Amino acid sequence: MANTGGGAYSYSLTVFSPSGKLVQIEHALAAVSQGTTSLGIKASNGIVIATEKKTSSILIDDLMLEKVAVVCPNIGIVYSGMGPDFRVLITRARKSAQAYWKMYGEYPPTRILTQEIANVMQQATQSGGVRPYGVSLLVAGWDGTRGQQLFQVDPSGSFWAWKASAIGKNMVNAKTFLEKRYNDDISLEDAIHTALLTLKEGFEGQMTEKTIEIGIISVPSTAEREEPTSAATGRPKATFRKLTEEEIKDYLAL
Amino acid sequence: METSFALTGNGYVIVAADTTAARSIVKMKIDEDKIKTLSSHLLMAHSGEPGDTIQFAEYVERNIRLFQIRNNYALRPSAAASWIRRSLAQSLRSRHPYAVNLLLGGYDTAEDQPHLYWIDYLGTSTEVPFGAHGYGSYFALSLLDRYHDPNATLEEGLATLRRCVDEVSKRLVVSPGKYKVKVVDKDGTREIEF
Amino acid sequence: MSIMQYNGGSVIAMVGKDCVAIASDLRLGNQALGISSNFQKIFSVTDRIYLGLPGLATDVTTLRELFRYRVNMYTIKEEREIQPETFAHLVSSTLYEHRFGPYFIEPVMAGLSKTPSGSFKPFIAATDLIGCLNFAKDFVVAGTASEKLYGVAEGLWESDLEPEDLFETISQTMLNAVDRDAYSGWGVVVHVITKDKVVTRTLKGRMD
Repeated sequence: MANTGGGAYSYSLTVFSPSGKLVQIEHALAAVSQGTTSLGIKASNGIVIATEKKTSSILIDDLMLEKVAVVCPNIGIVYSGMGPDFRVLITRARKSAQAYWKMYGEYPPTRILTQEIANVMQQATQSGGVRPYGVSLLVAGWDGTRGQQLFQVDPSGSFWAWKASAIGKNMVNAKTFLEKRYNDDISLEDAIHTALLTLKEGFEGQMTEKTIEIGIISVPSTAEREEPTSAATGRPKATFRKLTEEEIKDYLAL
Repeated sequence: METSFALTGNGYVIVAADTTAARSIVKMKIDEDKIKTLSSHLLMAHSGEPGDTIQFAEYVERNIRLFQIRNNYALRPSAAASWIRRSLAQSLRSRHPYAVNLLLGGYDTAEDQPHLYWIDYLGTSTEVPFGAHGYGSYFALSLLDRYHDPNATLEEGLATLRRCVDEVSKRLVVSPGKYKVKVVDKDGTREIEF
Repeated sequence: MSIMQYNGGSVIAMVGKDCVAIASDLRLGNQALGISSNFQKIFSVTDRIYLGLPGLATDVTTLRELFRYRVNMYTIKEEREIQPETFAHLVSSTLYEHRFGPYFIEPVMAGLSKTPSGSFKPFIAATDLIGCLNFAKDFVVAGTASEKLYGVAEGLWESDLEPEDLFETISQTMLNAVDRDAYSGWGVVVHVITKDKVVTRTLKGRMD
C-alpha cells in the first residue's frame, strides 16, 4: 500500500490526504486526460459537440462504437475517458430523463439533467466499494427557459457551463485554440467548422467521417416552438441530433 | 353515548365532554376526564374507540411536550392542529388506524385570539366557531347556529353550553349524565364547575 | 353511499377570453350534517395557477400539502415557476402513484400558461381520482354537484367571455347548481385569473 503515487491515501476514497486532496479523484481525472479529445462549442443558434473516434485496430467494426449519445430529444452527451463507464452513465441519464417525462410530461431542462448525472458521479466519490467514474462529459441541450446550454461534468461530480470547452488528451491545446477562435455571435455552421479545425489540431491519422462523431443542437424558432410536438407522431420534436456520416463528409469536404 | 362540545367566545374557548366510560350497554365509570391539557394554552377533547382515544391522546400530549422541551416554546394552536391532523391522516392509511375524534381549543398568545379546530378520525380538520362530536352534535349544532355569539362573555358562553347539554339530556335516548367543562383563555387553561 | 360523497363539495373551472375562472362551494359536512361553512377547497399554486380539490376532506388537506411541497421543490430546483401543463402532469402522476389505494379527490385546475411568444393562454384541466387527465376547451366540473354543474354550465357558458362576464357566468352556474345538491353549498368562492391579477370574491348562498 505504501510507496505508490499518492501514498497511503490513494486507495480509500473517503479519506482526505493531509493536503486536502482526494487522490482517487485526481487519478480519475488522469484517466480522462488519456482519453480521446472531445469538444463542444455553443453558438448563437445552437451547439456542436464533437469527438475523435479512434479504434486500436483496423479490424474493429466501428459500427457499434458510439461516443456521442442522445439522452432525450433535447439533450446529447459526448465523453472523454473510459467507454464502459460512459455507457453506465448514459443509461442512468436516459432513465432519469424518462422518469422526468413520466412525472411532468416533458423532458428535463439541460441543467436539471446535468445535475442528475453529476449527482450520480458525486455519489461514486463518497460511497463504499466503488470507484469514481473515469470520464468527463460535455452535455449539450436546449430548453424553453434557458435556451441552449453546454455543460462539462468531471469525475468529482462538479459541473460548469461553458461557451466552448474541450476534454481529454488534447484539452489544453484545444482550449487555447478555441479561445482564439471563439466569439459570442458565432453561428452553428461556423461553430461546426471551428470544431472540425480544433479536432484536426493534434489529430493522429486521417480525419474522416468514420473517425469522428458530431452532435448538434439547433435552436427552434418561435414559430416552431408554438408547435413543440410533431403533428404526425405526437412526439416532441428533437432539438438535438447526431450528424450522419454523409453530413460529416460534406462538412469535411468544405 | 359519547358527546363533546366546544365553542369560542370573546377571548376564550370552552371545551366540554361527557364523563362516562361505557362498554357495550354498561357504564363502567362516570368520572372519566376526556379533555387533555396539551400545553399551557391548549385543550383537546377526545372521543371514539376506547383505548385508541387514550393511546392517541397521550401520544399527542407527549409529542407536544417534546416539542416544547426541544424548542423552548409551545406550538401555536394552528400548528398543533396541523400536526395532529397529519398524525391522524397518516394513521388512517396504516394497517390499524386510530378511531379518534377531537375538538382542539387553544388560545394563541402571539396574536391574542382563541382558536377552535374540529378534527375527525379521518384527519379532516377545519377551524370552526363552535363544534361537536357524537350523537349530541345533531342536537347541539342547530342550537349553536341559533345562540352562538363569537363576542359573548364567558358567562354567556356557559349559558349557551347549558342549553346544549340540557337539550341533549332531554331528547337523546342514550344521553350522558355528567360533563366536564374546561376553558382556555389568555390566562391559560382551567376546569370549571358546571 | 360513496366515500367521494362523504364530506360533499364541488368545483368548476371555465375558460374566458385571455382569462380563466375557478369556483367552489364552502361546505364541509359529514354526510347530511353540516360541519363548516368556510372550508376552502381551492388553493393557489402559483400567481397564475389555481387548484380545486373536491372530494374527501382529509385528502383535500393532505393533497394540498403534498402539492405545495412538490411545487416548492420544483421551483427551487428548476429556478422557475411551474407552468399549468406541467403542473397538470404532476397532479396526474402524483395521483396515479396511488393507483391501488387512491386519494379520494377529483382535482380541477385553472391557470394561464406562457406561450413562447410571451403571451398568455387560458388553461383548464381536471382528473379523476387516479389521475386520468381531461383537458377541456370550455369548462370542467367535479364534486357532488357535478351533474348539475354540467347542466347549468352547458346552458350558460359561451366562448370568449370577458373577465367580468366570465365571473357572472361561473357564479350563476355554481350558485344554481349547488342549490340542487344537498351536499354542496353554504357559500361560494370564485377566482378570476387574468394575466396581471387574480380577483377573488366570496358569494353568499342559501344556508340550507
